[in-house]
Amino acid sequence: MSNQKKKNFQIEAFKHRVVVDPKYAEKTWSILEHAIHEIYNHNASGLSFEELYRNAYNMVLHKFGEKLYSGLVATMTAHLKEISKSIEAAQGDLFLEELNRKWNDHNKALQMIRDILMYMDRTYIPNTHKTPVHELGLNLWRDNVIHSSKIQSRLLSMLLELVHRERTGEVIDRGLMRNIIKMLMDLGSSVYQEDFEKPFLEVSAEFYMGESQKFIECCDCGDYLKKAELRLNEEIERVTHYLDVKSEVKITNVVEKEMIANHMMRLVHMENSGLVNMLLDDKYEDLGRMYNLFRRVPNGLSTIRDVMTSHLREIGKQLVTDAEKLRDPVEFVQRLLDEKDKYDSIISQAFSNDKTFQNALNSSFEYFINLNNRSPEFISLYVDDKLRKGLKGVSEEDVEIILDKVMMLFRYLQEKDVFEKYYKQHLAKRLLSGKTVSDDAERSLIVKLKTECGYQFTSKLEGMFTDMKTSQDTMQGFYASHPELTDGPTLVVQVLTTGSWPTQPSITCNLPAEMSALCEKFRSYYLGTHTGRRLSWQTNMGTADIKATFGKGQKHELNVSTYQMCVLMLFNNADRLSYKEVEQATGIPASDLKRCLQSMACVKGKNVLRKEPMSKDIGEDDAFFVNDKFTSKFYKVKIGTVVAQKESEPEKQETRQRVEEDRKPQIEAAIVRIMKSRRVLDHNNIIAEVTKQLQSRFLANPTEIKKRIESLIERDFLERDNNDRKLYRYLA
Amino acid sequence: MKKEDTVKLISAEGMEFVIDKEAAMVSQTIRNMLTSPGGFAEAEHGEVTFPEISAVILEKICQYFYWSLQYSRGKETEFHIEPELTLELMMAANYLHT
Repeated sequence: MSNQKKKNFQIEAFKHRVVVDPKYAEKTWSILEHAIHEIYNHNASGLSFEELYRNAYNMVLHKFGEKLYSGLVATMTAHLKEISKSIEAAQGDLFLEELNRKWNDHNKALQMIRDILMYMDRTYIPNTHKTPVHELGLNLWRDNVIHSSKIQSRLLSMLLELVHRERTGEVIDRGLMRNIIKMLMDLGSSVYQEDFEKPFLEVSAEFYMGESQKFIECCDCGDYLKKAELRLNEEIERVTHYLDVKSEVKITNVVEKEMIANHMMRLVHMENSGLVNMLLDDKYEDLGRMYNLFRRVPNGLSTIRDVMTSHLREIGKQLVTDAEKLRDPVEFVQRLLDEKDKYDSIISQAFSNDKTFQNALNSSFEYFINLNNRSPEFISLYVDDKLRKGLKGVSEEDVEIILDKVMMLFRYLQEKDVFEKYYKQHLAKRLLSGKTVSDDAERSLIVKLKTECGYQFTSKLEGMFTDMKTSQDTMQGFYASHPELTDGPTLVVQVLTTGSWPTQPSITCNLPAEMSALCEKFRSYYLGTHTGRRLSWQTNMGTADIKATFGKGQKHELNVSTYQMCVLMLFNNADRLSYKEVEQATGIPASDLKRCLQSMACVKGKNVLRKEPMSKDIGEDDAFFVNDKFTSKFYKVKIGTVVAQKESEPEKQETRQRVEEDRKPQIEAAIVRIMKSRRVLDHNNIIAEVTKQLQSRFLANPTEIKKRIESLIERDFLERDNNDRKLYRYLA
Repeated sequence: MKKEDTVKLISAEGMEFVIDKEAAMVSQTIRNMLTSPGGFAEAEHGEVTFPEISAVILEKICQYFYWSLQYSRGKETEFHIEPELTLELMMAANYLHT
């Protein structure tokens, strides 16, 4: 015994003591049997452990293990039969208590018996592959007590009855319940499952089926979910209190199936309280509950998501196609943003920021924003409005937030190039009229567009900013080299690079003599410093500040467009001018002239001109006078400036046409890029690749792509394969 | 030393050895005797009689208990056993489940 290895050394070989007494085994066993009786009778204190152990030890040593083991089985069985009878005799509720008490007794006795028979447990049982004492005791208990015909069904029905009573709100003895359940678990997981868990789950399913039916008839969706959640938590709590932890999944599955999965559709579509109503009324709590409950059942979340998506699409479709709501672009975009905000907060507060929901939201927005092909224009107009006046007195962070939101809508657009087109126009107007509120905000948005769409997208926009900057320097240079020009009218010229700015048909008008002289001076100065350039005047985009004195000596400074300035200057030399005379003298295109005259003669408060006959519209036979009675509270009067407006139908068509025109080279470039690397590709793949490449800018139309391919074939960039007409080859 | 912390082991000849419970519990058998529920006589009186173990052997056993407590884990030390005691000691070890 000097070290642990020698423990298994068997000493049976040494027959050091010959048992002479043939009754030896009988005698020894009767001592042990007596002891077992005493133990069951709670009378063990007088027994000597050493003696009993020694007897059992010797019995095993002398090959009476079999007798000892079978004796133990018989004695214990007899005792358990007794016990079982006394449990059966227990009345009503005492039954469980009696069972519990006897079980504790048996456990204690079993442990003592195992201890004194330890030597048998250690040597005889492993050698003969018999059941160890402790397990044997449990098995005997199971067979003789739990599975006795009078106890088994009674026990089960009492347990289920208790659970049912607790479910209906009664308080039960959870400690007792826990002990009994623990006993079933100790007897082996199969006993627990067969004798309790399975029937328990069946009864629960039945219970919840009935209850959910009752609730769904009389509750609205929110209340129903509250009740379901309550029940679910109750069951989970029950498991922690007195059931096997492994039962949690099973019982929650039952509740989920009966209370949620089976009624999912009905709940979601419940009239006046279903999912759509919750969304409309921002019921975060109910929505969160629905999310958490539905998440537990298969297809639960996808059901919510589908309903939300279709609802969103519906709402969005109304939003973008309702002619009434399209009247004001700013309002339109604001409404989209509000809708987005609403759903963002629903997803973050109720749907735990579920990625799949965010994706659903995004795809819905993408879907309906692109339903209206004016969305790009409107978004640009919204930005225009914000950058013109909307951002005054707003902190820098808030500006960023607004811009980020705009970018988010921008991301949904399929026709990003259309947005670019409009944005360019609006930006040009802002820059030229000096109406932009914050240079920082403008630049910040450009940076955002750049990160979103790449350098190419914004290079022209950035070019516009550079032009504005260089123009300032040029003007300083101009006045520095012409010091004599401090008197008289001043001229501010912005030199715009063709290409960077939106192209406008350049129709020159006849400037007043003073101005055209000044313009000539600038032209010669500019061309003197930059050789090889061509200057053309965009009079339709300019503004002018003029001082005017009216009949009674009222002096005002009028802020007008270049066209209006030209018209007003005519009245320095004449009191009365007919429409024809004005048109002839200025050379302004008719439609522009009419608008410009209308803004000066027909708008109340700004009517610096008087018209005969008085009417709202400008006729070709009208005559105009200076309005000597003009008054205004302000010294400075701003008249009909160029305000970005929603485009009229023909203008819209024109822009669209221009966009289509611009897309052609882009599609071609994409085709060539792809073919250059692939060499040979079939038609469908080209279409797919081109669409993918151009996705960040616009959604390419397959028929248009086909046309471009044909055009490229005509120009010998590509050829069709001789055998397979669907295959194209790159030629170079 | 408190009485509760010790146990009295009595040999076949009536020789008494008082040792720490902790040491005695090196033997699984003695451990069971002292801890089994229900209160056997041994646990109650704090003494165990071994009618089949002689004083010489029991003494050696007690020495082993203390040696085992100190050295059995890790340290490489020898527990000296006189050859003539080997057989009896082994039987006792089997009995005591040590």
